[in-house]
Amino acid sequence: MTQTTQATGHLAPDQLNALIDGELSSRESQAIQRHLADCHPCALRVLSATQLKAATARAAQRFAAPPDALARLTAQLRSQEPKRAARIYPFRSIAWAALAASLVLAVSLISWRQIRQANALSAELLDQHLATLSSGASPEVISTDRHTVKPWFQGKLPFSFNLPEVLPADTSLKGADFTYLSGQPAALLLFTIHKHEVSVFLTQRSATAIATMPSHVRSGFNIYYASTHDLGIAAVSDVNPADLKLLLSALVQAQSPG
Amino acid sequence: MSFAASSANFEQLALPLLPSLYSHAFWLSRDHAEAEDLVQETISKALRAFDSFQAGTNFKAWIFRILRNTFLTSRAGIASARTVFLEDHPDLLDFADASPTPEDHLLRLDNQAAVNEALDRLQPPLREVLLLCDVEELKYKEIALVLDVPIGTVMSRISRARRTLHQMLQSQLGESL
Repeated sequence: MTQTTQATGHLAPDQLNALIDGELSSRESQAIQRHLADCHPCALRVLSATQLKAATARAAQRFAAPPDALARLTAQLRSQEPKRAARIYPFRSIAWAALAASLVLAVSLISWRQIRQANALSAELLDQHLATLSSGASPEVISTDRHTVKPWFQGKLPFSFNLPEVLPADTSLKGADFTYLSGQPAALLLFTIHKHEVSVFLTQRSATAIATMPSHVRSGFNIYYASTHDLGIAAVSDVNPADLKLLLSALVQAQSPG
Repeated sequence: MSFAASSANFEQLALPLLPSLYSHAFWLSRDHAEAEDLVQETISKALRAFDSFQAGTNFKAWIFRILRNTFLTSRAGIASARTVFLEDHPDLLDFADASPTPEDHLLRLDNQAAVNEALDRLQPPLREVLLLCDVEELKYKEIALVLDVPIGTVMSRISRARRTLHQMLQSQLGESL
């Protein structure tokens, strides 16, 4: 399969490719490994070629199938199976295997999607929080009074929410803003807890992935998520997690009075 | 094998390959709607031809060959075939750089964006062979089956594709320095 090593003793390009593509027999491969152990330039070429191969694969994987296209193709593949045959061969092991394979595919797609969404969403949350911290920015509504803040959102948001009557200790409302999160309208509430700034985002539960997100730390900021029947709530701050959770649960409770 | 059993078997084999088929179809056609149509048609054709698939041989190579032929007979494929390409002669340049220096061969590949761009610019037939090798991880003899060319041609195209990418990246780096 490979050309003989050239007069110079260095790897021929085809040999190099066959090596990194796993096309060599173990005997051929061993002979080349012996050469590589002594030849620095060839070892660098192999390293470089291996990296290029990996980078090529990464570059190609940018264009993954959109989930909805995959769902349509999966449905098409399923529908090819004749209905009558499905009755004759119910629950054949092979059908179970196909089902299991499709479940694995579906689950891995969902988790891949969630990871991607999670990263994008938390990056967006953090960006918006950092924007509120910058000195020049002041919120549209500057008010510590929940009776001023809540009505301001009426007509601006396609949903409504309640603010807690009593906030946790040393926690105060500073103001509010109208914003977008993942392209969906959201309310941004600004609080302070022990002088730490906190951004709280409220969206329709169905509009973003907030309801399914695990809390985490990003760039030193805590990002916590909660949800109610209708709302998805996210809080971003550098305050300690316990206080941030208290505020979140106060907000959650306020949505179901009584 | 009964038709029902064979079609269940087909589904089992084809289902895990849908993401790969789609992604490869996209690279061939460079269009999402076209890619989906290509995969749809590939599935229909492959199921009809499934009797001709020999168990024990590589199903992935077999269905990728159908995808490729489907593309070549599509409007986009016919258009792309008009662009003249590739003499598959052994490349004398391969032997010209027989005394490599480390500097010539060590690329700084920390810049993925540069690699993305180089792959976009690579001639489609060279890109196709690299995708089958580096992304789909088909063996040379399977790639030869997909492309319907001798294995020696597969090797020379891979060699040429990688050298071209390498040169593109080197000149990009040269410009940015």
